[in-house]
Amino acid sequence: MTAQAVESRPTTPTAKARWRGGRWIALLGALIVLVAAGTVLLGPEQEAARPLDPADTSLQGSKALAELLRRRGVTVDRVDSVEAAAALGGDRTLVVTDRLRTSPDDLAAIRGDRLIVGDPFGAAEMAGVNPVGAARQRSREPECSLPAAVAAGSVHLGGIAYSAPRGTTGCYPAGDGWTLISFPNGSGTTTVVGSGEFMTNQRLAEDGNAALALNLLATGKPVTWLVPPDDPGTGDLAGPEGDSVYDLMPPSIPWAVLMACLTVLVVAFWRGRRLGPVVTERLPVVVRASETVEGRGRLYRARRARARAADSLRAGTIDRLTPRLGLASGAGPQEVVAALAVRTGLDAREVGGALYGPPPTGDAELVALAGYLDSIERKVREL
Amino acid sequence: MALTGRAGLLAALGIVAVLLAPSPGPAVAGVCLLLAAAIVADLALAGAVRPLRLHRSGERLVRLGARATVELVVENPGRRRVRGVLRDAWPPSAGATPRVLKLDVPPGERRRLVVTLDPARRGDRESVSVTVRSLGPLGLAARQASHSSPWSVRVLPPFLSRKHLPSRLARLRELDGRHPALVRGQGTEFDSLREYVVGDDVRSIDWRATARRHDVVVRTWRPERDRRVLIVLDTGRTSAGRVGEAPIPLAGAATEGGGLLARPDPRPVPGWPRLDWSMDAALLLAALAARAGDQVDFLAYDRAVRSWVTGASRTELLSSLVNAMAPIEAELIEADSQGMVAAILARAKRRCLVVLLTDLNSAALDEGLMPVLPQLSSRHLVLVAGVSDPLVAAMAGRRGTAEEAYDAAAAERALLERRRITARLRRHGVEVVDALPDDIAPALADHYLALKAAGRL
Repeated sequence: MTAQAVESRPTTPTAKARWRGGRWIALLGALIVLVAAGTVLLGPEQEAARPLDPADTSLQGSKALAELLRRRGVTVDRVDSVEAAAALGGDRTLVVTDRLRTSPDDLAAIRGDRLIVGDPFGAAEMAGVNPVGAARQRSREPECSLPAAVAAGSVHLGGIAYSAPRGTTGCYPAGDGWTLISFPNGSGTTTVVGSGEFMTNQRLAEDGNAALALNLLATGKPVTWLVPPDDPGTGDLAGPEGDSVYDLMPPSIPWAVLMACLTVLVVAFWRGRRLGPVVTERLPVVVRASETVEGRGRLYRARRARARAADSLRAGTIDRLTPRLGLASGAGPQEVVAALAVRTGLDAREVGGALYGPPPTGDAELVALAGYLDSIERKVREL
Repeated sequence: MALTGRAGLLAALGIVAVLLAPSPGPAVAGVCLLLAAAIVADLALAGAVRPLRLHRSGERLVRLGARATVELVVENPGRRRVRGVLRDAWPPSAGATPRVLKLDVPPGERRRLVVTLDPARRGDRESVSVTVRSLGPLGLAARQASHSSPWSVRVLPPFLSRKHLPSRLARLRELDGRHPALVRGQGTEFDSLREYVVGDDVRSIDWRATARRHDVVVRTWRPERDRRVLIVLDTGRTSAGRVGEAPIPLAGAATEGGGLLARPDPRPVPGWPRLDWSMDAALLLAALAARAGDQVDFLAYDRAVRSWVTGASRTELLSSLVNAMAPIEAELIEADSQGMVAAILARAKRRCLVVLLTDLNSAALDEGLMPVLPQLSSRHLVLVAGVSDPLVAAMAGRRGTAEEAYDAAAAERALLERRRITARLRRHGVEVVDALPDDIAPALADHYLALKAAGRL
């Protein structure tokens, strides 16, 4: 059957129509990009938080403590190298935090009091102080005779707990150890605390945190606060002459990589452009009608419903046998069994047990019953 | 716009050029400019796609399992040659081949392209769009645009059971001519008078004619013609279940999926929906009844009337039926039997044979049809035909292992319920045909012939 020709019309919009339809969206997109770029370029430079840094104003920093010290007339010098700390000289208090990567040998040249946070390099071990375990950060009571601690009262401490051998003073107990240890080091006093959290801007105002920090640091001596260097160094793999990998490459390589990226874009556009739309279709459901029966079989199997299964098998067999035996559909057990025994010559008690007996007790019995019912039916059919 | 592999190759050659160039920075700029210029020139020189005019012709109707050809004439009114590819996008189950056609139309000329459809399921298939990609002279870039060129092909049910028609028609002729009934019944009409022979029913002696002829004369009767048959197709959820083996694989019938999780499915591939088997049976019955001189109407119903064919003449009955059946799909909703009976009663004023093609599912029938059946069977002769599932029968027979025994028990339960609902329907005076998918059409036709012979229509 042929029909008359049907006219066609283009459905792809022209470039002009596309611009007219999408110009507001395009303008909005451009505006968003402009605003985002402007915010990023003109906005203040966001610095990463430097924990326990006397110049850091974030929650993890310690600028508040440094300001408190300065207001009490204590000089706080922030240095970022051991050499600079050693160069300051004089009788000072040195603050060392667990952010540092130094060794006790580096610090041996610096004399005076020390406040060590978290003991990053085992300086305390020289005095026989060992870490004995981790302690939860929480408010703790001093329970010692150290004047600075007694005056401060409860303080938010935790982190590492240390042992307190003879000759040292342990405060703020946590489990078997102490979270603050104080001992003389020859040229002054070394104080080791399990964590520096009580010195941060976030915690300083709580409990006796500020009091303890000031008691430990505001002893009249200037404070040298050792922090990790701002630029930790990139660990360049520069050779002995100072040439990096990039210096050794021919100058055309980066340009070739740029060109390769452009090639990938071109190839992606070539492969990605579809010839016409994706056609969708509402397909009919595919479900086998026997699935409900299979599901019922699995339920029987999962619950080991032998009684029900046997009932079904028996009912099916009896329903098929009664018309063949010439009985009415409502025939009772005695009639069916008697008729079967007469027609097939099987033992009436055996047949009765199979058709109306108790449910099988095991899967093997169920299989045997099913097979027996099958054989009865076959016998009746062959008559 | 679209690019080709050549553009990619040119860009790749650009990498080499940049590597070898003495000053790589300007070389990158040069290669990019060259590529862009070539692409722009190619686009500008490519044949225009939007002004193309497409004309379609070809087949509108095709039986499922047959192929249809649709012709597409591409006319190029522009000034430049259009060379490239064309894709006529059809839904996947339309089975359109080839997917992409080569196209080369000089200016002012037209070319004929042929798309072959090998539909995988019934219903209306419509062409979605025609996309043309016209390459430039350098073969670097192409213009691309889509056209809407509507054309729809209706895929009709295959009527596979028509192979049973000749034998049933022979039986019908036998019934009509050689076997006049001697007993007057509800569906018989007076045929002729003939001489009494020994063995005729004495009740059929026509005494008035006997007195006139001085010879004993009996009346003969024949099945009445011009009875009405209303075929009702249940398109509810129970018709969606697939049974048997599909003679023509339908779309979505294959269960193997691609990907990593694909594994051979030990279970048999689902066959045709009950609906399609029922349609096949309905078509055979309609063809037979139309030849027998009966008036055939057709109703498809689930919760609303999906299709209604009435008053079709003998010659155009089959074509209007397949046309009405083609777009019907099983809806995944519970059929509303009350509404169905009301629709039947509203449409069939005179007594007729109502053939209800549904599933003999005891739960669905108990809830739906059984309560309203008396309304229907008191005014009409009702025949319920259901397609049984050979898989269930096979499951009932396998009893070797414990798993199979449990499955067999479940199958026995299903079969028992089916037999019980059949018996209950028969007690209500309803005729029931319950047959396997391959046998449902001839079984239904035979039952109709039996009813006709017994004069019960």
